[in-house]
Amino acid sequence: MRTNLMAVFRIILPASIDHLGDFIQALSRWLEQEGMAKEKISRVQLAVEEALVNVIRYAYQGGAGEVELRGAVADDQRLTIQIMDRGIPFNVCAVPKPDVRCGIRDRKVGGLGVYLIHRMVDELVYRREGDQNVLTMFINRNLGNLAGPRQDVHAGA
Amino acid sequence: MEIDVRKEGQTVVISLTGRMDAVSAPQFDMTAEELLAQGDRRLIINFETLEYISSAGLQSILALAKRLEPVDGSVVLCNLNGPVKEVFDISGFSFIFNIYDNLEDAKASG
Repeated sequence: MRTNLMAVFRIILPASIDHLGDFIQALSRWLEQEGMAKEKISRVQLAVEEALVNVIRYAYQGGAGEVELRGAVADDQRLTIQIMDRGIPFNVCAVPKPDVRCGIRDRKVGGLGVYLIHRMVDELVYRREGDQNVLTMFINRNLGNLAGPRQDVHAGA
Repeated sequence: MEIDVRKEGQTVVISLTGRMDAVSAPQFDMTAEELLAQGDRRLIINFETLEYISSAGLQSILALAKRLEPVDGSVVLCNLNGPVKEVFDISGFSFIFNIYDNLEDAKASG
């Protein structure tokens, strides 16, 4: 099964930390237009930032490359976000869960970003497709306050 | 992100406004570095007007706490709310830091 989705939202930029704000701002504007609640947008921003930062820091191993961010809202109002790069294979879903209970001295920072992604989305799928990493996030409407179907303006006629 | 630094006696209150993400967290690292270099050891971070934090922000705060520990310093946090509080709770950071509901309580903690 190919996971590439028909994107309603699509942006491709160099995988550079200088563009992180551009990705997040463009995505947020689109989600606002889709009627997503502010708190939910903040959660999507967090998942997308963490995934993009991984690509920016590690995918191209110091070299240049691009990253593509796609978004679509299905009929059932399930939000799908995809992040694609042509860097080294990196299975986000295989990153071990950090120990979130240990104290300051023993606390490690690695793995925290990926853990946050898992906690912000309802389903996370990684696939290597050809030379691409494709990370797909599914965010359910019922858990996320995405606005429901628009009211019929002709109601009562 | 805006960073406001106020020294009050032996205590430094760092108030953060806006978004603490992978782009802005290094600003915080630089501010923390300067304060440590000046000999400040008792820090309060006020999150009242911080809207967003990602793992980069958490890492900066953890790095500061790790550096303060061997020099008998301390960092306490206050006014966590909304998405910022949620991220602290999920990551377990709520359990490893001293967190106060407001700035007055944080100041009184020392």
